[in-house]
Amino acid sequence: MAAPTAAPAAAAPPRRPGLMKRLLREPVAALAFLVVALLVGAALLAPWLAPTDPFDNNLGAAMAVPGTPGLPLGADSQGRDMITRLLFGLRITLMMGLAAVLLGGLGGAVVGFAAAFYSRVDGLLMRLMDVLLSFPAILFGLAIAAILGPGIPAVVLALSVATVPLMARIVRGAALVVMRQDYIEAARATGMSDARLILRHLAPNCLSPVFVFATLRFGQVILLGSALSFLGLGAQPPVAELGAMASEGRNFLFFAPHIAVIPCGLIFVVVLAFNLLGDALRDALDPRLRV
Amino acid sequence: MLRHVLQRLLTTIPVMLGVLLIGFLLMQVVPNDPAIVRAGPTATAELVQEIRRELGLDQPLYVQFGIYLWRLLQGDLGVSIINNVAVTQELAGTIGPTLELMFASLFWSIPIGIAMGTIAAYWRGSLLDRAVTAFSVAGGSVPVFFLGLMLIWYVGFQWQLLPFTGRGGPLWTLEGWQSIALPALTLGGTFIAPVARMTRTAVLEVLGAEHVRTARAKGLSEHAVVLHHALRNALIPVVTLIGLQIGFLLGGAVVTETVFSWPGVGRLAVGAILSSDFPMAQGTIIVLSLGFIIVNLVVDVLYAALDPRMRGG
Repeated sequence: MAAPTAAPAAAAPPRRPGLMKRLLREPVAALAFLVVALLVGAALLAPWLAPTDPFDNNLGAAMAVPGTPGLPLGADSQGRDMITRLLFGLRITLMMGLAAVLLGGLGGAVVGFAAAFYSRVDGLLMRLMDVLLSFPAILFGLAIAAILGPGIPAVVLALSVATVPLMARIVRGAALVVMRQDYIEAARATGMSDARLILRHLAPNCLSPVFVFATLRFGQVILLGSALSFLGLGAQPPVAELGAMASEGRNFLFFAPHIAVIPCGLIFVVVLAFNLLGDALRDALDPRLRV
Repeated sequence: MLRHVLQRLLTTIPVMLGVLLIGFLLMQVVPNDPAIVRAGPTATAELVQEIRRELGLDQPLYVQFGIYLWRLLQGDLGVSIINNVAVTQELAGTIGPTLELMFASLFWSIPIGIAMGTIAAYWRGSLLDRAVTAFSVAGGSVPVFFLGLMLIWYVGFQWQLLPFTGRGGPLWTLEGWQSIALPALTLGGTFIAPVARMTRTAVLEVLGAEHVRTARAKGLSEHAVVLHHALRNALIPVVTLIGLQIGFLLGGAVVTETVFSWPGVGRLAVGAILSSDFPMAQGTIIVLSLGFIIVNLVVDVLYAALDPRMRGG
């Protein structure tokens, strides 16, 4: 995996003005930003935006096609309004992704800083991370779902575990560069404790690669999480989650393809938007990383 | 070279043991007592105790792990709770189809990905390059099951061109080819984007290298420069990266198998987990993990064979 292990913003003056401006100069990036903002907004406001309750079924409207009066995107197999289900599904899917990136990112950051800071454990920790890295996330999903039983917690845990080694590598790479700076030496000379040194001086200067990675990882995690839900290992019906909705819709593919296709399309849009935004952030924060 | 292989083999052993240990512990935490399951619902407490002794379940954990490893070496992974078939027997029939599907997917997607990446790198910045780049970003964002469902809907259902459930037969029969076409298109389809992206980067790097300039200065045709001097050298990192992406492919295979009811290890694993068939779930997960370790090992050794600089270390 070609993860950016490049220099953090430490070399550049802190808080260069106009990150947003630089980010939004590129039309694709601006569009991706807009789409992400809209998606997040829609997910946050789902309970207010949704025309009905996500579990309200109306069997009379079952499999109604998009364009049916009152149901612009149609209804699912139990006559639940697709728009409502999509809004709530988006909410759950994004929350799953956020939880996994936060949990895995935090775990990875701890490992990465420990490896960079304490050279005695560096080899062992990174070797362990390499082992974790050699297994695909779906396999973690299978194993954890077998232990915990299928459900959202299993998916979040599996994706977090799969994120830890990636984040650990990024953080370690960034931290090693920052640690060569004089001010770290100076802070150490003042007798500052390790924990304080890491939190106050090391971590803030490693933020930009972490931020870029987290954005790109978010897209991947959504993709993997929805695949696990599609397999039935994640969100369980009747919960509205995009992968689970696609899975339910699969059974009605030949009668009402929209039930599966629309959630799939939305997953694609979410992942694409985050991937594009991540790429743009990388270019804006650190042009040296551009390939 | 031999030393390198041996070294890699040695470092793989602890990882394999770790996977087996996790697989073993998996069975300890699941809410399921194999003795009760084997004894059946009408068994007396004495009979359960008897079976527990027989299975070694009254021994300390590390002894049980030893027994478990010993059984594993003899190909005994336990018995399915659902249909009482030996896990190894069920697994044996699914490994072939999974390998078949992965092979068929790689067979068509790697050449296309490499061609796309090379074209993009050669005409860097052109419209073609942008199209390839856009394609690989978009391709990396498509859920596998989306691609699969679209192929089923159009090719399988609307146009009635190809079958879309199950495996028709071995690859050398017409039915075998027809039935693997859509699953392989699906799984391979998700693989083109990463291959194209990696190839583009690798070829770009090589095109700027001195030996390529020399080749051009010698007056070689562009064709010879790109194919023999640039692409050939770029392929070394590409082959390794492809090897490392096999993991990603196996993850996709689990989903693809489920979408197309392809009788592989992935589908068996998902089915076992969903029906709480713990011994079967454990067996499939162990086989998938070991499969992975072996693939990584093979890729590493191949890489060393391709590029002598990678040996040692």
